[in-house]
Amino acid sequence: MYGQETDPDYPTKLAEFEARIARGEKIEPGDWMPERYRKQLVRMISQHAHSEVVGMLPEGAWITRAPNLRRKQVLLAKVQDEAGHGQYLYHAAETLGATREEMLQALLTGQAKYSSIFNYPTVTWSDMGAIGWLVDGAAIMNQTMLAQCSYGPYSRAMVRICAEEGFHKKQGQEMIIQYAQGTPEQKAMAQDSINRFWWPTLMMFGPHDSASTNSDELTRWGIKTKSNDQLRQEFVNELVPLLHALGLEVPDPDLRYDEESGNWISGEINWNEFWQVVKGNGPMNAARLQARQEAHDNGRWVREALAAYAERDV
Amino acid sequence: MNAHHQSALAQKLLFLADDELILAHRNSEWTGHGPILEEDIAFTNIALDEMGHAATWHRLRQELTGEEVDTAVFFRDPAAYRNVQLVELPNSDWAFSMLRQYLFDVYELVHLAQLAASSYRPLAEAAAKIRIEEIYHLRHTAAWVTRLGLGTAESNQRMQAALDTHWPYAHQLFVEMPEDAVLAEMGTAVSPTSLLDEWQQITTAHLTQANLIIPTNHTPPTTDRADHTDHLTSLLAEMQSVARQYPTAVW
Amino acid sequence: MDTQWPRYEVFKQDRPGEPHESIGTVHAVDAEMALQNGRDLFARRPKCHSLWVARADAITSKTAEQLAAKELATDNSWQADIDPQAPTETYLVFQKQTERRGMTFTTHVGEVEASSPVHALQQAIAIFPAEQVFVWWVCPASAVTRSEEADTLPMFAPAQDKLYRLPNQYRTVFTMQKIKRGKDVIE
Repeated sequence: MYGQETDPDYPTKLAEFEARIARGEKIEPGDWMPERYRKQLVRMISQHAHSEVVGMLPEGAWITRAPNLRRKQVLLAKVQDEAGHGQYLYHAAETLGATREEMLQALLTGQAKYSSIFNYPTVTWSDMGAIGWLVDGAAIMNQTMLAQCSYGPYSRAMVRICAEEGFHKKQGQEMIIQYAQGTPEQKAMAQDSINRFWWPTLMMFGPHDSASTNSDELTRWGIKTKSNDQLRQEFVNELVPLLHALGLEVPDPDLRYDEESGNWISGEINWNEFWQVVKGNGPMNAARLQARQEAHDNGRWVREALAAYAERDV
Repeated sequence: MNAHHQSALAQKLLFLADDELILAHRNSEWTGHGPILEEDIAFTNIALDEMGHAATWHRLRQELTGEEVDTAVFFRDPAAYRNVQLVELPNSDWAFSMLRQYLFDVYELVHLAQLAASSYRPLAEAAAKIRIEEIYHLRHTAAWVTRLGLGTAESNQRMQAALDTHWPYAHQLFVEMPEDAVLAEMGTAVSPTSLLDEWQQITTAHLTQANLIIPTNHTPPTTDRADHTDHLTSLLAEMQSVARQYPTAVW
Repeated sequence: MDTQWPRYEVFKQDRPGEPHESIGTVHAVDAEMALQNGRDLFARRPKCHSLWVARADAITSKTAEQLAAKELATDNSWQADIDPQAPTETYLVFQKQTERRGMTFTTHVGEVEASSPVHALQQAIAIFPAEQVFVWWVCPASAVTRSEEADTLPMFAPAQDKLYRLPNQYRTVFTMQKIKRGKDVIE
């Protein structure tokens, strides 16, 4: 069911497969698919799952310091959702023959990537607002697209995740709105969070289309239906007017409105920083992986004990 | 309700709220660091529920004292906290946290069944509602206790170590404070001392079946809820840090 | 090698009378834990009335494409598996019935008596024809663990009060409109 290019029937099967996708049909576990489609999906989905799991850490660090009970409950529920999203996504990858053991191993050894946004530190409470509004807002744009992707399990995971992310984005936006109109310290704190998270959020959409190596195939196989630059532009167009209305600045001196296209045009992204963080040299890469490794190591006796319990003779 | 009775009830609500809140705080420290992804969700759920219960008890107390929930939580000094020491002990391994939660869940279930019969309607209604969530908590933690107790030699030994630590501390939950005596006399709430037998029966049967040995030491380190370990000071310093740094801000 | 425990498929029923639908998997060491993990993963938000779980490896799955590839009537391997004398047991039958975007996969449609998974699939196809079935699942009823009626309240009712998980509790759009109209929102 995973088609190899060496198979003499491969071209015929590939044509049928691509025709199915063109008709808008979903590919389900058990259906024929090119091995390369499977590989690309496992890479993307597991990377996405790891991002959710590592993504628990920067926000999790503030659960114990949330300034009131409601915010504390909201943040706990949100970080909890991220563990859930990790599970939905690992499940989707598992339907393609990947195991969670292997995927976690790849994360811990640094072979697998995760979204570089989580390698930035969270230094103030209002970073919770910026992460919710900017980071989750950007993630939703990508996820809304992926909810339409050709692979059934990934699409369903995304539909579920999008439904839950709406709450994540809104609770963050609610904070930034409130703090932008709160005390001078709160407003300064909100502005500072936006300043630090704006550019890393734009980088989340990935390299420019001209530099993106995987895009053609992913588009043809119905995995991605919009390009990195397209999604990034939609995000900037949505956020800039809202931030301005709140009296907050966008930390981009070159940002300008283009009358003709109706787009807000950003200045150039610091791609050097992007690649540095992707390569593991971001401010928090080592700390994030260490935290995951510790949780993994500290939990080993627990996982083994329960496995032993299930296998004992009664 | 006379002033004496009312102040005893307000204080009792503080006992309830502080136990739940501090335990929720300790549990929430596991979020993102659990032994398996499934439990990052499950244990966080319990923390969320306990936090919700703390808020419920605080709201009932606010009706009596007028003190806002967030003020009571974020602007009260450690010396004014009235939780038992069991819940403030820092986490160590998963056995430590899971077993503590189990011992507390049994106590809550036994306690709430009685509080649901309180002559003070708001307390009775809240207890009945919270009890529904606690039924599930106990199902979860009791299953974990069995599995870890009977899992491997290592898991059994870790559970036994956790039990040896927690057992005397847990007995503080059943110490009668002066306010408890007032409320018992008025029929508002049973004395916690009256719950001890049932708690011991349930926990002893379950822990023994999980191949754990019940410790002989039943004496809690303190019998006064005003006494705390120094762990509570650092816990609250962290929890209250943002709120206290900006006391006039609304978050 | 690390263990992340076996996988269990989770089936959720939103309201009484509606069919159970498969919604994904959890990792668990036994059915009780799978039920609990399924509850915490898939019923954090309303609505849920009942959950079923079954080891993922107890389920036999065939897509329409897989079925079309084997001509059912003539394929020997398909027939060989079925022994008319063999004792039968009850299998649950599930279908993926739509290509519409959603978060659920297969839907429970009923039961068949069969002596093997292949036999169950054949029976299912004969008994539960549908205009279009994209995926068939069969699973022995003995492999399914179900939440009980008494579980509904403690397992699923609490989620209904956790309103902070719902996006409609955050009136950001309304607030932004108000700000744009120049009104002070902190009033």
